[in-house]
Amino acid sequence: MPVAASAIYFLNLRGDVLINRLYRDDVGGNMVDAFRMHIMQTKELGTCPVRQIGGCSFFYMRISNVYIVIVVSSNANVACAFKFVVEAVALFKSYFGGAFDEDAIRNNFVLIYELLDEIMDFGYPQNLSPEILKLYITQEGVRSPFSSKPSDRSVPNATLQVTGAVGWRREGLVYKKNEVFLDIVESVNLLMSSKGSVLRCDVTGKVLMKCFLSGMPDLKLGLNDKIGLEKESQLKSRPTKSGKTIELDDVTFHQCVNLTRFNSEKTVSFVPPDGEFELMKYRITEGVNLPFRVLPTIKELGRTRMEVNVKVKSVFGAKMFALGVVIKIPVPKQTAKTSFQVTSGRAKYNAAIDCLVWKIRKFPGQTEPTLSAEVELISTMAEKKSWTRPPIQMEFQVPMFTASGLRVRFLKVWEKSGYNTVEWVRYITKAGSYEIRC
Amino acid sequence: MAMHGMRGLSIFISDIRNCQNKEQERLRVDKELGNVRTRFKNEKGLTPYEKKKYVWKMLYIYMLGYDVDFGHMEAVSLISAPKYPEKQVGYVVTSCLLNENHDFLRLAINTVRNDIIGRNETFQCLALTMVGNIGGTEFAESLAPDVQKLLLSSSCRPLVRKKAALCLLRLYRKNPDVVNVDGWADRMAQLLDERDLGVLTSSMSLLVALVSNNHEAYWTCLPKCVKILERLARNQDVPQEYTYYGIPSPWLQVKSMRVLQYFPTIEDPNTRRTLFEVLQRMLMGTDVVKNVNKNNASHAVLFEALAFVMHLDAEKEMMSQCVALLGKFIAVREPNIRYLGLENMTRMLMVTDVQEIIKRHQAQIITSLKDPDISIRRRALDLLYGMCDVTNAKDIVEELLQYLSSADFTMREELSLKAAILAEKFAPDLSWYVDVILQLIDKAGDFISNDVWFRVVQFVTNNDDLQPYAAAKVKEYLDKPAVHETMVKVSAYILGEYSHLLARRTGCSPKEIFSILHEKLPTVSTTTIPILLSAYAKILMHTQPPDQELQNQIWAIFNKYESCIDAEIQQRAVEYFALSRKGAALMDILAEMPKFPERQSSLIKKAEDSEVDTAEQSAIKLRAQQQTSNALVVTDQRPANGATPSVPVSQLSLVKVPSMISAEDHTSTNQALSEENGTLRKVDPQPPSADLLGDLLGPLAIEGPPGATVRSEHNAVSRLEGGLDAVDGSAIVPVEEQTNTVQPIGNIAERFHALCLKDSGVLYEDPYIQIGIKAEWRAHHGCLVLFLGNKNTAPLISVQALILPPAHLKMELSLVPDTIPPRAQVQCPLEVVNLWPSRDVAVLDFSYKFGTYMANVKLRLPAVLNKFLQPIPVSAEEFFPQWRSLSGPPLKLQEVVRGVRPMPLPEMANLLYSFWLMICPGLDPNPNNLVASTTFYSENTRAMLCLIRIETDPADRTQLRITLASGDPTLTFELKEFIKEQMVSMPTAPQAPAAAPPVPPAAQPTPQAPQIPANDPASLLADLL
Repeated sequence: MPVAASAIYFLNLRGDVLINRLYRDDVGGNMVDAFRMHIMQTKELGTCPVRQIGGCSFFYMRISNVYIVIVVSSNANVACAFKFVVEAVALFKSYFGGAFDEDAIRNNFVLIYELLDEIMDFGYPQNLSPEILKLYITQEGVRSPFSSKPSDRSVPNATLQVTGAVGWRREGLVYKKNEVFLDIVESVNLLMSSKGSVLRCDVTGKVLMKCFLSGMPDLKLGLNDKIGLEKESQLKSRPTKSGKTIELDDVTFHQCVNLTRFNSEKTVSFVPPDGEFELMKYRITEGVNLPFRVLPTIKELGRTRMEVNVKVKSVFGAKMFALGVVIKIPVPKQTAKTSFQVTSGRAKYNAAIDCLVWKIRKFPGQTEPTLSAEVELISTMAEKKSWTRPPIQMEFQVPMFTASGLRVRFLKVWEKSGYNTVEWVRYITKAGSYEIRC
Repeated sequence: MAMHGMRGLSIFISDIRNCQNKEQERLRVDKELGNVRTRFKNEKGLTPYEKKKYVWKMLYIYMLGYDVDFGHMEAVSLISAPKYPEKQVGYVVTSCLLNENHDFLRLAINTVRNDIIGRNETFQCLALTMVGNIGGTEFAESLAPDVQKLLLSSSCRPLVRKKAALCLLRLYRKNPDVVNVDGWADRMAQLLDERDLGVLTSSMSLLVALVSNNHEAYWTCLPKCVKILERLARNQDVPQEYTYYGIPSPWLQVKSMRVLQYFPTIEDPNTRRTLFEVLQRMLMGTDVVKNVNKNNASHAVLFEALAFVMHLDAEKEMMSQCVALLGKFIAVREPNIRYLGLENMTRMLMVTDVQEIIKRHQAQIITSLKDPDISIRRRALDLLYGMCDVTNAKDIVEELLQYLSSADFTMREELSLKAAILAEKFAPDLSWYVDVILQLIDKAGDFISNDVWFRVVQFVTNNDDLQPYAAAKVKEYLDKPAVHETMVKVSAYILGEYSHLLARRTGCSPKEIFSILHEKLPTVSTTTIPILLSAYAKILMHTQPPDQELQNQIWAIFNKYESCIDAEIQQRAVEYFALSRKGAALMDILAEMPKFPERQSSLIKKAEDSEVDTAEQSAIKLRAQQQTSNALVVTDQRPANGATPSVPVSQLSLVKVPSMISAEDHTSTNQALSEENGTLRKVDPQPPSADLLGDLLGPLAIEGPPGATVRSEHNAVSRLEGGLDAVDGSAIVPVEEQTNTVQPIGNIAERFHALCLKDSGVLYEDPYIQIGIKAEWRAHHGCLVLFLGNKNTAPLISVQALILPPAHLKMELSLVPDTIPPRAQVQCPLEVVNLWPSRDVAVLDFSYKFGTYMANVKLRLPAVLNKFLQPIPVSAEEFFPQWRSLSGPPLKLQEVVRGVRPMPLPEMANLLYSFWLMICPGLDPNPNNLVASTTFYSENTRAMLCLIRIETDPADRTQLRITLASGDPTLTFELKEFIKEQMVSMPTAPQAPAAAPPVPPAAQPTPQAPQIPANDPASLLADLL
């Protein structure tokens, strides 16, 4: 295991240290000043997450209004450090009840120190699983001081828990109603040229689960992905169904998934941890169903006028609809006056981001609203630099739609006691960076 | 006042102040800018109030550091508003947002002028302030008379006149012609009679600018300045508001003294006496007090007074008083004051006679070397460096050496350089010098530049009695456990050369020396290994009687490095191995290095360079600089044509070096030279060893690459042996003027010929400039780009490039800048169009000035006939009909060429191909003949196919027959002549590697007789290098 951190700092946006923990003494306590001087106060912030100043490397990440900075002086594993930060934030969130920001940190100093001691040792990351840690770091966030009932909770043997075969699940869980929730969340990244040809397109998806199951259940998940289906057809020696199969790239599983079984039988089978977790992640680069097509025409009429026409077409089923659609159409910095005509939604000019922002709250499938705007520009002193025409950006959420076409074919739950379970499956597609050049 | 009631503005400002972070602030600002844009774009127009409000907002945003690139029109238009609040905004925002080059300002000139000549004082002040801040040349032309009138007017209040003086200063700086010298001298004198100190201070600023340009015209002002100084110093009639912490107008005092420093001397005894009295008072009256502001003011006056005293060359008593004062300063604990004291002492050193007095403070200065503040340490170091002379050199250098081990890393390089220079300059004896430098290398090896140890080697080589001492000394150092690489280099060199002088001492047998050196081999880098190899070769040569075991050991090492990846090491290993088998011949080849010609120490030059860089531009410094730069010219001057090697330099005269050439008269110089060349020539007949010699010289060249020095010797030789003058042609382009004082690096003609065959490379190089060229050819068009690179830390000025194109080329050179900034490269594209075929060559007449050097070279440009050729393969079916259709002169010409340099057929084919003639094999049944084809492009002929047949005689390779056919008679003739020239004037280059295309020398416009075969050893050597 490589070293991931010599020290970790939590800073607010002004650069004040909220909390810090030094794991090794190879970095000085004042190194964070260097970070403040050389990174926060310059325009470097946000350009590169890894910077070297003096003999130290700084890895930093902004989460809401907090900067988390890791300082190392040796040759550390950067990816490991960032993964550590991400996991630690997830852990804190689960302790604080969802929010991770400056206030949450200020309210939970003691807890954070306790957790920081536990999750990293001499610069080496340790167990970051909230389920396990909650067993022995029982002090909960101040948000819910009365919800925990320490009296009727037996503190199980933590050591056994961590070292056992199923380290992620406690034994002896009992639920009245056995339920499984499964969400497939996909985000679409797209870069399209002004002519409508796709330059770059991929989907990153996650399978999120929430389990409220008694005992030690064994779950088996079947998707309509290629590997699984092929394997199945081989086993059952019958031709594959004519349905679409999806080829998943870069699949990563939660540690609970039995990989030997996956390798031999190509099935995703696992004993789930209790509560919420991310079962798998994947990426798809081919055969993506784009939910929206954008057809922009932007004409510059002379030096002071522009005409913008944007047509957005929804290409998913007519019964479905998208929520929270926002289309940001960039305009030059010297925009002075704008006037709009839209067939649905509302549009306005936002000078702070130099965009025309067109919002449509509910966007049904198979429709194509349009926006036409006239933009007047003010003349400037600077000699005419041609406008760079940044891409149009789009945000949306389409429930019950997957851009990859991925579907859950089955989710089987098997437990010794053989109880009945209720399975809930949801799909949602969101915009990642959905950009159309104009 | 103007802010009253602008609620929008105050809300905006409070919004900004309430922002938590930069990002929020930016969002708020961008929103506001959007709002302002919308308002300005509003068709209905804005009320003056709104306009004012938004322009204030713009200014506020601009002050926060955001880019505001619109709305200037609105700001400028506010200037012409009738009411004060709007006018004020207009002026303030215009002077903040715009600079003198903005076009919008032109719109305002008229309004500004109206305000200036108007009756309203407030408006006058606003206008004058704006012009004083951003007025440009146009303002200068149109407003200067009015401003002058205001300044001189007696009816104006001092408030306005003050501003008018400063405004005029700005206008004068923009355009010096606005102040008429004849008229203004009297008026200026008159202005100095002014009683109001405010007006006086402003006028004095104006006077400083005027006097710095032309002090003669303002003689009349001199006594008045003295009078003002006297008035201030005696504190007569100085109003309370102009005294600052009890000091009467320190600003005016400083400025008056600054003005006086621009006058070379003050002759009038009365004035002089008064002045000294005043200065005396200033020197006496200043002391260090608690109050910082008071200190600052009084020290400003004091240091200006010190500068002035230095300028005046006052009597010794006053000088010593100054030094005593400074001595007090450097003993103070306050770092700022100490810094100033040290700095001014360093300046005092420029004045003669004070050195002795300063020396009294030496102990104090040395303690300053240990100050925690680095800037003070630096000043102390500078001062020590400056005050060093023969008497205290030993102490100071030893002090520096001691300090070196504890000094800051950032300072070590400078420190060691300075110690090295001082040791060299003031060495009481040379062994001490060697000791010091070796100690330096030992203590601060990382910070020692190559120049330092090169210099030691030079001294040791030039001084016979020093050699055994140095050899013994370096051996002592090598015995230490950890040795720095630089030390290994010096020791390897010195032991290689002189270890045989120690052979009788114990522990110094060749074998032992070898083993000491060889121990270091695994630890050193690739730059040091060659030196070690040379040392081994020399040790081996000096071992008498030969030691079989040592020889085997060394040969094994050479063997090992024969396959080294580093070309330098490999070459040496191979050559030494081969040479060491030659036995007796080895003695000659590896003979002791000849003495070096005396050179100015490059260290001193380096130090001077860096001093010039950091110098500030005060009056006294300016003069000092001029002096040093003159000195540089004297010492730096390279002899014209390199006829005499560099003259010894005055700075080195303290070092006792038995000089070979310097003291002797001209004839003996020549003898000395030919002697030296004798040694060179001895090795000439064996080309590899000549190479080797250059090689050995290589690491020792202290200034400039070795080629330059050897070349100058070569030129000298060719002058001596007058009969061979023709060879000069190969070294210097025939058209080059002999007045050229700058020696080019490398052979210009060779560079030209190389460029005839390729499209990019260096056309010309000398110590100051390098001209590179890059060309692209497309049909009859060409695009050449000249890269003019300044190699120095000072700009090259009066740069001029003229193209003298021959009739057949149309050339257009883009603008060449007049100056090339230090270490910068300028690109000048050059368009070429070929009109008709011709062999004439375009010439670039290039000149520049560096310091006082004026260099002018005429360079041939490689836009030659073959650049417009395009090789084209032709099949037999195409070839023969063409060949037959072009029958007889003038379209088809045939000529038998004799005296061709014999070469095998493939080589000839290669040569032809390098001129872009495509060889078509198989067309001619006779294998001894070559057939080639190409297309020629020019504007008149367009694309024109040319067919060439060359018949050779296997029995006599010196003659051949060329037949050339094309559709254009001139083209046929020119191309035939071109090929003939290339074939005939081929030089005999015996060991030119086959891969490199042979270099044809000087292709002159007219066909020339075959040149004297250049077998002169000197030129051979030059070629090799």
